[in-house]
Amino acid sequence: MTDISSGSVPLTTNEKVQASLGRRRRKQFILQGLGIGAISIAFLMLFILLWSQIATGYKAFMQTNITLEIFIDPEEVPTERLPRGNFDDVLAAALVANLPGVDASDRAALRSASGILSNGAQFDLRDRIVENPALIGQTITMRMPVSDPYDQLYKELLDRETPENLRRLDDAQIANYDHLVEIGAIGSRINTGLITNADSRFPELAGLKGALMGSFWALLTCFLIAFPLGIGAAVYLEEFAPKNKLSDFIEVNINNLAAVPSVVFGLLALSVFIGWFGLPRSVPFVGGLTLALMTMPTIIIATRAALKAVPPSIREAALGVGASRQQVVFGHVVPLAMPGILTGTIIGLAQALGETAPLLLIGMNAFITSAPGTPFDSATALPTQIFIWADSPERGFVSRTSAAILVLLTFLIMMNAIAIYLRSKFERKW
Amino acid sequence: MTTLAFAILLAACMVAYALNRRAATGIRDGGQRLHSVSGYHGLFALLMILVPVLVVILLWLVLQGTVVNTLVMSSLPDGTLDGLGKGQVDLILAEIQSIAGGRIFGEPEPWKIVAADRFTGLLQAASLGLVLVTVLLSLAIMLFARGKVSADFRARQGVEKIISGLMIFCSVVAVFTTVGIVASLAFETVKFLKLVPLTEFLFGTSWEPQIPIRADQVAAEGAFGWLPVIVGTIVITIVAIVIAIPIGLLSAIYLNEFAPKVVRSVCKPILEVLAGVPTVVYGFFAILVVAPAIRSLGAAWGIDVAPNTALAAGGVMGIMLVPFISSFADDALSAVPGSLRDGALALGATRAETVMNVLFPAAIPGIVGGVLLAVSRAIGETMIVVMAAGLMANLTLNPLESVTTVTVQIVTLLIGDTSFDNPKTLAAFALGMMLFIVTLIINIFALRIVRKYREAYD
Amino acid sequence: MDDLRAINNDVESNATKISAKNVQVYYGDTHAIKDVNVEIKEHTVTAFIGPSGCGKSTFLRSINRMNDTIDICRVEGDIRIDGQDIYDRNIDPVQLRARVGMVFQKPNPFPKSIYDNIAYGPKIHGLAKTKADMDEIVEKSLRRGAIWNEVKDRLHAPGTGLSGGQQQRLCIARAIATEPDVLLMDEPCSALDPIATSQVEELIDQLRESYTVVIVTHSMQQAARVSQKTAFFHLGSLVEYGTTDDIFTNPKDSRTESYISGRIG
Repeated sequence: MTDISSGSVPLTTNEKVQASLGRRRRKQFILQGLGIGAISIAFLMLFILLWSQIATGYKAFMQTNITLEIFIDPEEVPTERLPRGNFDDVLAAALVANLPGVDASDRAALRSASGILSNGAQFDLRDRIVENPALIGQTITMRMPVSDPYDQLYKELLDRETPENLRRLDDAQIANYDHLVEIGAIGSRINTGLITNADSRFPELAGLKGALMGSFWALLTCFLIAFPLGIGAAVYLEEFAPKNKLSDFIEVNINNLAAVPSVVFGLLALSVFIGWFGLPRSVPFVGGLTLALMTMPTIIIATRAALKAVPPSIREAALGVGASRQQVVFGHVVPLAMPGILTGTIIGLAQALGETAPLLLIGMNAFITSAPGTPFDSATALPTQIFIWADSPERGFVSRTSAAILVLLTFLIMMNAIAIYLRSKFERKW
Repeated sequence: MTTLAFAILLAACMVAYALNRRAATGIRDGGQRLHSVSGYHGLFALLMILVPVLVVILLWLVLQGTVVNTLVMSSLPDGTLDGLGKGQVDLILAEIQSIAGGRIFGEPEPWKIVAADRFTGLLQAASLGLVLVTVLLSLAIMLFARGKVSADFRARQGVEKIISGLMIFCSVVAVFTTVGIVASLAFETVKFLKLVPLTEFLFGTSWEPQIPIRADQVAAEGAFGWLPVIVGTIVITIVAIVIAIPIGLLSAIYLNEFAPKVVRSVCKPILEVLAGVPTVVYGFFAILVVAPAIRSLGAAWGIDVAPNTALAAGGVMGIMLVPFISSFADDALSAVPGSLRDGALALGATRAETVMNVLFPAAIPGIVGGVLLAVSRAIGETMIVVMAAGLMANLTLNPLESVTTVTVQIVTLLIGDTSFDNPKTLAAFALGMMLFIVTLIINIFALRIVRKYREAYD
Repeated sequence: MDDLRAINNDVESNATKISAKNVQVYYGDTHAIKDVNVEIKEHTVTAFIGPSGCGKSTFLRSINRMNDTIDICRVEGDIRIDGQDIYDRNIDPVQLRARVGMVFQKPNPFPKSIYDNIAYGPKIHGLAKTKADMDEIVEKSLRRGAIWNEVKDRLHAPGTGLSGGQQQRLCIARAIATEPDVLLMDEPCSALDPIATSQVEELIDQLRESYTVVIVTHSMQQAARVSQKTAFFHLGSLVEYGTTDDIFTNPKDSRTESYISGRIG
């Protein structure tokens, strides 16, 4: 080693650097460790979140059923009185026939025992008989959901060891249930009702059909409004707008709009769409309109980025053969930018699908037991349905809330997967 | 009938397109040179019909309901509505509508049935009118557009003008939205301030809008001081930010500077998943998992924790903001020119020293912008707090207690029946106004910082 | 050592500072440097010349292992400084870079004050015990960087506020503040105007007294002005290496001659 370090310092530079290395490596190690720790915390939280939803939600995808032989007693259900009739009594009789321990004349015991039948069972039976009155006087086999506490019992969510007075089912009810299990009347099946039923006060009957249709109509409205408006605005601002104060103002405006809290859009919708225009509350059309206003900035920003990515040479080439500005833009630039535009739109719609607060304010959290046939029928949406169920006191709604969350997340993942696929398939390197 | 109107519009557009196109082709085949190709002549006719008629139909549909309702209500026998509040009037209207719709409950008074008949009649007349107007207007414009076809007619310019107009309209919708937000909030807030003085709203220390619900209630008797609400919002926001900033920044630093390429390419999408989870899911997560966990942890240490402690809502909100902050910090760090990184490394700085002494300070403006946007998000975030925070407005800074936020109050005041003359409803709009102003100021400030920063390194 | 004070262009007798044997550099699948062998003398300005894309910068960056910061870059072969293999597993690039300073094409002062820019290296390496030591290092470095007189009154003004030529001299001062043996310069004058260029060139000539300087340039005039030895790179290979006078007046390889006379490049 040559003595470059001019002699005035006792230790050479190299030795000093060497001396500092240990401390500095340790610092680097700590920083790296903190970074890994931070990421791990974030991932752990995501994992716990997903896991807790799956762990509580998967049970709602199965539904406990009871299968009974039912004699349709013409005394109780006379043909001429249809659709009225004592269907609940018919059901109770069929149930008691399987329960030797229950005295059919003891009204209290009968009522307590028939609590296992879902409230919806009598309506199912009614609909079946109204459809085919010839069944009266015959014996039919029917499978129907059991009510929530028994469903919990089957899924072992209800603890038999709890003292009787704190339990939702007393000893006699549990004994009846055990007997029914023994004779094979109780079984469990995939809960198709979760998708095919609309909302209900009874967890065992509640499903997501209304919410899914509501979300569908709202998103359709949102797309039909936000997509053309967003593209129009983005194309104008990116390709045609003169660079002046006004277009600056519009740009600042759009950027700010993207960051306005969603609940404020709800207030806007409530006071303008419902208050001033007199549009009805709780309908997906108004929801879609509101979501469209929120999604538009996202679409505009994504579209402008996609348009920017198209190289100027394409524009110059088209202009060079004598095309007008609009012919260039709509004939060449926009089609080339389309994958980017679609990706941005899908991501915007995915955000809109998960948006809750504005829909609450326009009343899309109403209790509605039928699925909407048009965008102008009252409905809930998936996220508001989650909110309603999360707020419901019945135990059965806890797992249904998680199940609904899993359904919502599945849709979101699908939409994002489509966006990612589009992006990777059509991505072009200029 | 509405469908019919749209069908007519569609048909008219197509016919007009075909007519004009054919006319133009005819001129061309006659040997004259067209200024614009024939397709543009057709397009010109199509747009000339589509735009105005569509506007008329939509306006008609929006206004029809209100006009019919007003007509029906004003035609009721004199004195029926005297002395009734707005709620009762609405109820009568709803009853008339349901009678008209064939759903009759009990024995309605005869004047209601008359009104219902009138309602049905008016509605029919309105739909018929709509179809008629659509037909006439379409035909008139079709004739006008057909008359325009000539060799010299600049159809392309005409079309492009219309399209430009449409695009300008699209751009202005964003401005309209902002104007709409400001106008509607201001309108209701002014009404609110007539009932509750501004000083009380801004400086009052008690917020109890729900308590007295009596017929003779005077608005000022309910308490409308927003201080406890805003303090609660601040407490939850601070909890969220305190969690989100270190986790977000450290993960960004790690991903940007230390992580191998593979790790980075796996971690970034996972963080995006975290960002894509809807807030209602976070809210349910907070009440299902986080709040009970914090409570039992508190119990284990002998600390009394409220069931809907600000820690649960704020903590979950912090997790929600992690990907937000980390992506801003990532962008900001990546935007620092590579030459600075090279400069530091060439001096013999370790990677950690390069990040902490050179890159991070240079990226600070961008990071601050991102953090400010995150703060504005936390303030405006609704579902997590609606589900996991409290309803009662406690004036406290203790995050273990239950506090409420501006957004929680807006939602709880407006959920359920709302009529616009109720101070509760108006209070929600006043809170909304404050929320909008506060977040707007933060956003403008943050966006400006971020933009300045980008320009500095571009 | 006194003889070094006199400017002489006869450097053949100087000891070898850096020796490279069979060096290969790959960027992913691209073979960027092919089998380069070179011995660089100490207290000498060695210029790497060649057409753009010929690998001269890449080779320069493997001398202080800056290529390590590029994921896809791989270096094979043997590079020794003072006989020590710098790609040895026991060598920390941090330590190496403290000994081998580097100046880049574009001046890249940190967005800090002039003082902090210079003090940064000594501070992280723990070269100064006291504030006075640090002040001394800063002044000495700025003097050696031939910029002291221009900035001594505004040491706490931001370094980014200087002119391009001043920024580059600041960066050179920053590089020598850690007392390196070797200074690598990657086209240090390409972003500068002619006046600033001549100031920097003058500085490079002075630096030869204390340091071994390797400079990449695509200006042949510059190579002729500042260097004693010149290496000509072409398509990733070292074509010819010799004294600057020989290379410019009497090139042995036809490719070198074509480049010098302007037929390729």
